Amino acid sequence: MIITGNALVMGDNVNTDVLHPSQFFSLDDNKVRSGFMQAASGYEQVGTGDLSGRIILAGDNFGCGSSRETGARVFVLAGVRAIVARSLARIFSSNVRNLGLLAVECPTLPSLTESGFEVEIDLENSTLDIGTEGQRFALKRLDPFWEAVIREGGLMGFLGFNNSQ
Amino acid sequence: MKEQTLTEKLLLRKVSEPILSGSEYFRIPIDLVLGHDATIALLIDRFKKAGQHIWDPARCFFAADHFAPPSTPERADILNRYLSFVKEESVPEDLLYRGISHQLLVEDRRCQPGMVICGADSHTVMAGALGCFAAGMGSTDIMAILLTGKVILSIPKSIRVRLTGKMPSCLFGKDIALEIIRRIGEGGALDHALEYHDHTEMGISIDSRFTISNMSVEAGATNGVFVPDETLKHYLERRDASAQGGGLSVGAGFEAIWLQPDAGADYAQHLNINVEEVPPLVALPGNLSRIVPISEVEPRPVQQVFVGSCAGGRVEDLAITARLLRNRRVAPGVRLVVTPASQTVYYQCLRNGIFEVLAEAGALITNSSCGACGGIDKGLIGAGEVCLSTSNRNFRGRMGSPDGLIYLASPLVAAAAAIFGRLVDPRPLLEEAGIHNFHSDPWPSRLGVAGGSL
Ligand code: SF4
Repeated sequence: MIITGNALVMGDNVNTDVLHPSQFFSLDDNKVRSGFMQAASGYEQVGTGDLSGRIILAGDNFGCGSSRETGARVFVLAGVRAIVARSLARIFSSNVRNLGLLAVECPTLPSLTESGFEVEIDLENSTLDIGTEGQRFALKRLDPFWEAVIREGGLMGFLGFNNSQ
Repeated sequence: MKEQTLTEKLLLRKVSEPILSGSEYFRIPIDLVLGHDATIALLIDRFKKAGQHIWDPARCFFAADHFAPPSTPERADILNRYLSFVKEESVPEDLLYRGISHQLLVEDRRCQPGMVICGADSHTVMAGALGCFAAGMGSTDIMAILLTGKVILSIPKSIRVRLTGKMPSCLFGKDIALEIIRRIGEGGALDHALEYHDHTEMGISIDSRFTISNMSVEAGATNGVFVPDETLKHYLERRDASAQGGGLSVGAGFEAIWLQPDAGADYAQHLNINVEEVPPLVALPGNLSRIVPISEVEPRPVQQVFVGSCAGGRVEDLAITARLLRNRRVAPGVRLVVTPASQTVYYQCLRNGIFEVLAEAGALITNSSCGACGGIDKGLIGAGEVCLSTSNRNFRGRMGSPDGLIYLASPLVAAAAAIFGRLVDPRPLLEEAGIHNFHSDPWPSRLGVAGGSL
């Protein structure tokens, strides 16, 4: 599977409370969507803008904190194509993958500042290509369980239940 | 068989084959699933599409704590959907409106050592203090558990934390949790278990242990388990003999299993902490990457002090707050919001005089619930306000405005901040109040029942 997109760069220890403040917890998708990144300094505008086709490139411990699944679901609602981080918080990475969205670790990913460049993820070969300079990094291989979950569009699909969200 | 850590023992005794060949994930039968109004409400519609019922309602431990009582009409609707679901699925209703789910779990005789517990909330890890495997997860994982009775997990490696020394009166579970994060970093236990060995002189109090296990997730840990010992046995004996230990009589299938890690188990890391060398600590606003001794913190004014949450709203927390505040007043203009973690904690403080002292001092005592901790209600902060909180997260916007600041510290530091209206080293106040051995006498018995959770 090859996934391409446009990079949105974030830092280390970005927690779910800044990615999706609890005030936007709701069963209403529009309200959930409107809360994206509303406590992440400097990302408030980006969060509510058009994020379809973007790939998040983040640092260590991305998505730490709360288990509220609205904080994962908002990535799907916003059209984010994949999440790559140097390391991912466990509950968050499970949450996004359970919804069928790819989240994968790239332990050697350098700290980046500027967003906007092209990114290509090659899952078969576990590589990440970024920018026009042809920089390539190795991705941590997904466990076969997670590969299957992503292939089936989420955990419910993997378990053979109705997978519509 | 290979020597095992406590977490390996807790999980591997229940499984054999990985879920797929080459996978590190196992399908593990679970003993209890914790849920609450907010996170269970998220899964109801999707759950119904699966066209099945909950595999075993008696193993559902469902509270109403986040939007309870609700503070907006939307939250009332969310709560009501949840309450209908609880009824439809014949889940026991005895826990609704009784306090914060995590606190209810450890107060309840359904929760026993040796269990595998999953919960729809990250602080489910707190039950690790009772020698359980307890982990938090999102609504989809919980939905899968409700349908199948099993969780899909990888077995984490463990970090062994050995605690020694004698707990000084100025030290609480919060300080130890912060000290661990200060040493290994926020995320320093990512995908690992924290395994706590309490070799301190008198044993760390059960209330402080709950806070330590609770904050394991703040270090990124999957679970945080205390090795079962005399302190735990003593607590469970009192708990399970008391009428308050959960409304239902508990049938078969809820027995304790006492496990110990093997002496030669393989640990990813060893951490030794002499509690006598740990000063009262404070986490500076924003995240948990800046944790410093209170003595090094600039004495900035606070507008609110919050004593509450699943990490800081137990009897021990309220007792030290009251002991410092006795015959004193909260500084003018400062809001001291006190939110007991459960109704049991509430009753205790009501009966043993703690509330009287707090109320006289000017504290605002609320009903037991999450309250200000998650920015839900009663004690939100505005732009430019500074709050010192005994809760577990100081994230931007967590308690209200993104432009408010949250410092985290122990209830002792909180009480001192309430008295002086600024961040201040609480140790001189301890001296003044003549408190030399708080941990063996948390609340003078002449005022009523002695301290402790129950
Ligand atoms: S008290 Fe705070 S941390 Fe604990 S469950 Fe409630 S919102 Fe979460």
